[in-house]
Amino acid sequence: MKVTVKSWTGVATWRWIANDDNCGICRMPFDSCCPDCKLPGDDCPLVWGACSHCFHIHCIVKWLHSQPQQQCPMCRQDWKFNNK
Amino acid sequence: MAQNINPHYASSSNPAKQNEDTIKLKDNHAVSKRLQKELMELMRCADKGISAFPESENLFKWIGTINGPLDTVYAGHKYKLSLEFPNSYPYAPPVVKFLTPCFHPNVDTCGLICLDILKDKWTALYDVRTVLLSIQSLLAEPNTHSPLNQQASYLWPNQPAYKKYLDEFYSKHRD
Amino acid sequence: MANKSDELKMYWNKINYAYPILNDTLFTDCSDAEYEEIQQIIVGLGVQIKIRDLILIHTEKYLRQHVAPSFWSKFLKTDEEVKGFQLFKSAVNDLYEAMSSFSPMITRLGILNNSCCDNKPIYGERDVMSGFKQLLRATLLSQLPLDFQVIINHFYKVSFNVFDNAEYDNSDMGEDVMCSGCWNEYSDCNCAYIVKVFHDTNRKLVELTLLERLTGQVLTNFIQQRIELHIQKLCTGTFDVSHIGFLENWLDTTVMSWLTRIYCAGASKPHKVDKDIQNAVSKFKQKLSYYLYHIYTKLRIDQLFNIIIVYPDSQPAVDDIKLCLDKTDLRATLCKKLQNALETRLLHPGVNTPDILTAYISAIRALRHLDPSGVILETVTKPVRNYLRNREDTVRSVVSSLTEEGAGSELAEELAKFAAETDEDLEKEEDWDNWVPDPKDADPKVNGNDRKANDIISMLVNVYGSKELFVNEYRTLLADRLLAQSVINTEKEIRYLELLKLRFGESQLHFCEVMLKDVSDSKRINSLIQQDKNFESLNNKFASNAMILSAQFWPPFKDESLELPEEIKQHFEAYTKSYEALKGNRTLSWKPHLGNVNIEIEIGDKKLDLTVSPFNATLIMHFQTKPEWTLEELHQIMKVPITILRRKITYWQSLGIISERSTDNFALVEGSDGNKSSCSTNQVQEMICEDEESESVMASAHDQREGELQVFWSYIVGMLTNLDSLPLERIHQMLKMFASQAPGTECSLQELRQFLDTKVRTHQLVLQAGMYKLPKT
Repeated sequence: MKVTVKSWTGVATWRWIANDDNCGICRMPFDSCCPDCKLPGDDCPLVWGACSHCFHIHCIVKWLHSQPQQQCPMCRQDWKFNNK
Repeated sequence: MAQNINPHYASSSNPAKQNEDTIKLKDNHAVSKRLQKELMELMRCADKGISAFPESENLFKWIGTINGPLDTVYAGHKYKLSLEFPNSYPYAPPVVKFLTPCFHPNVDTCGLICLDILKDKWTALYDVRTVLLSIQSLLAEPNTHSPLNQQASYLWPNQPAYKKYLDEFYSKHRD
Repeated sequence: MANKSDELKMYWNKINYAYPILNDTLFTDCSDAEYEEIQQIIVGLGVQIKIRDLILIHTEKYLRQHVAPSFWSKFLKTDEEVKGFQLFKSAVNDLYEAMSSFSPMITRLGILNNSCCDNKPIYGERDVMSGFKQLLRATLLSQLPLDFQVIINHFYKVSFNVFDNAEYDNSDMGEDVMCSGCWNEYSDCNCAYIVKVFHDTNRKLVELTLLERLTGQVLTNFIQQRIELHIQKLCTGTFDVSHIGFLENWLDTTVMSWLTRIYCAGASKPHKVDKDIQNAVSKFKQKLSYYLYHIYTKLRIDQLFNIIIVYPDSQPAVDDIKLCLDKTDLRATLCKKLQNALETRLLHPGVNTPDILTAYISAIRALRHLDPSGVILETVTKPVRNYLRNREDTVRSVVSSLTEEGAGSELAEELAKFAAETDEDLEKEEDWDNWVPDPKDADPKVNGNDRKANDIISMLVNVYGSKELFVNEYRTLLADRLLAQSVINTEKEIRYLELLKLRFGESQLHFCEVMLKDVSDSKRINSLIQQDKNFESLNNKFASNAMILSAQFWPPFKDESLELPEEIKQHFEAYTKSYEALKGNRTLSWKPHLGNVNIEIEIGDKKLDLTVSPFNATLIMHFQTKPEWTLEELHQIMKVPITILRRKITYWQSLGIISERSTDNFALVEGSDGNKSSCSTNQVQEMICEDEESESVMASAHDQREGELQVFWSYIVGMLTNLDSLPLERIHQMLKMFASQAPGTECSLQELRQFLDTKVRTHQLVLQAGMYKLPKT
């Protein structure tokens, strides 16, 4: 007997490579989207700070806008976007 | 057309106003979502000694309960608090007040609390649970440098006297 | 003295001469002229009242002792119809004659009574004649024998047979020697005689005002029988014609003309003057038309299940019932009978869920038409809803028929209709002019408007109690469909999703939107990754694709382990790498058991082209490297539990490719010795088989519902800790508000009460003055 695979359609789930499951600001899972968004992933990406903490981009931007100082809400270090 | 928008707003004649309202509603929705999540989390893994629940149908107003921390003068007492969440929550802190009278260096007679994380040290990462835990530990370790209640602050170093005063205070307040 | 006494005696004799009844006889030669004199005597003596009353007493006695017994003596309990006919005829004749002999005396009594001037009614009547008839009736009926109806029955049966025969005469009777009217030979036909006697007797009875009392019941029974027969003949199994107008007409013409003739002794119209007969006939007609409606409605109620099933073709029948329900008192009967019919014919394990749903939908439509208030529908279909709630596949069936195309997908039509109708609804509100109160059997707890507003889809959704659960099930179904199909008609799915969104609200279906987007995104990512250079060499062997899902938005998957063959794993690893390169900071977790595989199997001179599950593909690939495996070995290499292996390997057994050599030992069936299976015919060189694994890969709504009450409990403790004590309604409301985010948490007030009560019994709660609170610790 000879078995030839002609095509194989697999199923996978994607996830962000982050050190936590949920966004600390909105409490939604990283793999979901922030409360203001409808679609996860490309439309509601994560960003990392220089301090290595990450958030939904919309959440951290909103946080930074609401604060006089630009600090990471997690560690209170000055926030810098890390373009890794 | 989103169905969950109040038609009252949707039919507003002023387009600018409508826009503003929609944004507000959208924010409200996000805050509700976060508060729902917090509530679910709080219900799922209840800490001993702290608890909270919305006071009525309004998700933005909760009642919290703190048990006085063990091994302190407050042990055995139970404190009710009110928590009001602004529309900008969690980017701004909730307003937390003691409902049960609380004799404590950092709590004034109206129940207002002096606690840094409810003011300038607030971050969006705090939540109902951490706020209540912080207040609980504030009971155990007051900050006597910036007291709201001078008398309590003055009495604090003498723990037996403080405890005596406290117990009298509560037996008086129970009446 | 003697003189006076003689004089009185003479007067007395004269009075006796005019009124022989005083001596208990009826016959006298007294003429009108003679009576005039006697009347003067009575008036002269001033004894009018005494004499009148005496006569009445004697009349009563006579009727009681002679007339009535002799009349009833003819009412024998006989079996012979003809004899009964004769007996009744002669009884009526004799009675009539007796009464005729009374008649001169009654006339005289009338004169006497007029001279009494006391205005005393005679047996409740103004004039003596009516009073006398009243007395006669009363006396007769006071002696009514038990079986008096027997000969009356015979009498009317014989006569009606003749009428019947006359009515249906024109058929081919040529060969019959017997007259079917009177059962005599034609030469001897008695029909004319019978008709004559019949009319004669009826006339006499009418005159005696006895017709109704004596024969009314028999007549009614008889006519009712005829009506029933007629209706049954008319309404067998056809529901697409309205019969009521026809029946009314039939009653008006045929039946009534017939009845009139009985009352009018043969004439087809009552004399205009005869008000009594007119009244009697119209009263009779009322009775009969009520009966007609009643019988017809009852018949239709018995057929109602079938009527409902074929609705809307049966709308004329439903219209008829609707009309008749207002005229009869059968609402309760209808509800009970239909409920029974539904229960016995529909609600048992032998009927599959889609059929129950179809019937339920028909019932909703038909009953809504029958009773726009929705009360009957609500009452009757309650058991259906309860039953459907307990069937596990209800939601699935509803959802799949909602999204099905083509025939039988009434729900899909309904959904599309809803989309079109939503705009009109607002205008219908507040139509005060046409306001009608709810029927008296309505459940006062339910708002009438809600009852009316419920459309078919919401009635179905309500079966399950919650929109959320329903939408969840739709999500599960959509997930299954999206994962099962190798070619996905995204456009169609999106169209349905849009319709569902109109129906259930955007937020509920947001998850599904993301799922559909995942599908289209996956296509794009696939084509991007296929262009990746690293991937090219691998793809030379076979094409690998992926469905990349946003886990948070898909229903939870049943977790199953499966170790894939090495080369497949390599593919997936390479795919993951390309994905990571493409989408920075994101990676993939594979669900090895999901997906589908297109394989070609060459075995001997056969070639099979199959689309199978990854499990089946992996399994057969192992048999390629080694032709014989024990379950244990397969378990080791595939990491699949043995029970599942044993169950799933049957797929290859059924194709005749693998066989079980000995217990738990499986081997490849090579070449010609494998020719015992379905694919063994030599002509079939190539087969395309579909892997028949239609089982859902998602955890069903039912599974997800488990343990939900425990979630409730933590919420309840939370709210009682902070809010001290709350009544049941508040707890229910709060749960609805705040616990609805937890999966599938919907709970009726009743359910909640029961739950809380168990907590009270186990001392985890205290119930005080209607308020629940936590016990003091």
